[in-house]
Amino acid sequence: MTDISYQDLPWPVREDIAAAHRRAWERLGRPGTWLTGGEKVAIAHEARAALDCKLCRERKAALSPNAVQGGHDHAGHAAASLSALEVEQIHRIRTDPGRLSRAWYQGLRDGGLAEERYVETVGVIANIVAIDTFTKGLGLEPWPLPEARPGAPDRARPAAARRQMAWVATLAPEDAIGTADEDLYAGRASAAHIYQAMSLVPAAVKGFFDLVVNQYLPPQAMRDFDNEYRAINHAQIELVAGRVSALNQCVY
Amino acid sequence: MVGDGAPSDGGIPNGARLIRFATAVLGNEPEELAAARDDLAAAMGGAALTDAAAVAALFDAIDRVADATGIPLEDVKAEDTAEFRAGIGIDDFAAASEKGHGA
Repeated sequence: MTDISYQDLPWPVREDIAAAHRRAWERLGRPGTWLTGGEKVAIAHEARAALDCKLCRERKAALSPNAVQGGHDHAGHAAASLSALEVEQIHRIRTDPGRLSRAWYQGLRDGGLAEERYVETVGVIANIVAIDTFTKGLGLEPWPLPEARPGAPDRARPAAARRQMAWVATLAPEDAIGTADEDLYAGRASAAHIYQAMSLVPAAVKGFFDLVVNQYLPPQAMRDFDNEYRAINHAQIELVAGRVSALNQCVY
Repeated sequence: MVGDGAPSDGGIPNGARLIRFATAVLGNEPEELAAARDDLAAAMGGAALTDAAAVAALFDAIDRVADATGIPLEDVKAEDTAEFRAGIGIDDFAAASEKGHGA
């Protein structure tokens, strides 16, 4: 079992960050909503392997990623096997997110990739990126991936989820009221689009936002400009966030 | 990294230093990352370094959630930021026509 700790570093890491990372690692090995624990660990492994993929490097350097064809350097993992469509999803999201397109997504869907598995995979990649980029920033090696735990996914799709604002189906806050997934929005009738993005798999939202509130800010602190909550202030936080998003060419 | 053509602080204390670190975190130059990290920690303290690393890493992930699901910017944010988004070139990003407001 991986014991995530930042106590031996020359700089102080907030314990709430370390605790959130430990929870994320514990969730990663567990069966999810549409993915087994083995599949989630294999996806995390593939997300790391994508950084050394020759095809991804060539696509990233090309004027258009569609101009370069070939096969990914697929690492594989003993925990589970992934389809070629899943490998393509993982590698592209990990290495060239700014040039993903609706047509690319629809191509994966037309090839047979299930929407629910796609969304949950996005969540796994997001968790890995949030933690691996943090360790990279501090000069640490990535944490060893957790052992996969046995068990089946619960395969629970929110009854009110539908295609509306995004490429993927989402659960609108107003549609969640009175359903089994009402707790996702705590009864609120609105939420930021980024919070709704993975709502087809509510557990993916809850898991990822456990990292958001600890690595970034909790909701009540985001617009509380009279108080500071971190060792860098609001303006400095947004400067770092904005720089990263610009480098990733993220429109949102 | 910080030299000719480098971003200014932009009115934010240690702004150039934070931008240098965020850029290095997403880059592929270990020596530059180490130098940016040491510079930030020396100037702002270790807690500022680790909080900056946490934010950079989190937005590296958030960007992927947004881009992989195709969510648009909220209407009110799009309206409030239309002028400066156009001015600083965000509307020229490849994803703007795919996921930008009104896509």
